[in-house]
Amino acid sequence: MTMSVQAELPDQLARQGQELIKNGWAPDMNTLLTEALRRYLESHPEALAEAFVREDVQWGLHGGD
Amino acid sequence: MEATDSREMVIADAGPLIHLDELGCLDLLRDFSRVLVPDAVWREVERHRPTALIGLALERVQVEAADPRVATLSLTFTLHRGEREALTLLSCYPDALFLTDDTAAKLAAQAISTRVHGTLGLVVRALRRGQRSRDEVIGLLRAIPERTTLHIRPTLLREVISQVEAVGR
Repeated sequence: MTMSVQAELPDQLARQGQELIKNGWAPDMNTLLTEALRRYLESHPEALAEAFVREDVQWGLHGGD
Repeated sequence: MEATDSREMVIADAGPLIHLDELGCLDLLRDFSRVLVPDAVWREVERHRPTALIGLALERVQVEAADPRVATLSLTFTLHRGEREALTLLSCYPDALFLTDDTAAKLAAQAISTRVHGTLGLVVRALRRGQRSRDEVIGLLRAIPERTTLHIRPTLLREVISQVEAVGR
């Protein structure tokens, strides 16, 4: 199952993606954007973001500096 | 109460500079002895929020090629050029405080230093350091969703505000 998404990309980023596709390194923009999103989600898990916020607030309130 | 200079050196990523400027409280960084801004971060801020570069003694730093550890971390965490340069600088000054709001950059930075914080920490710290009153800090936290491009789950932000409200009570 897939979902259609409309997004605006900065010119330079879109051109770099198109170049990659043109040169045969990615099949199409759908695949490229899906892979980019998958990688972003893998490196930015929500639980980790929340843990960092909590650590940050503890430092802010009780840090020794 | 006037805060004393904490003598810490800071390496800044774009997020905290932009978000603090959006909140009108970039002056919180005056509490640090030096604020180093890698060249790629400087250019990123210049493009998105040029006012954040005015009025504070920020030091623009040209960063040489990344060391192998940073290069590997950058690939693993798919970091931007600015984040990569900031980590390279951090590897030269591992005792510095690294300011970033990006989860992946924080995770990567922790391989080099445990002293990694973000905008929220700085805003809350302003209370401890006497830079802002409790009400002022709460006002800044409440303004985050409307005045800034910093994204945080609303229930978590409310929890943070409650923690600040409870201080000294």
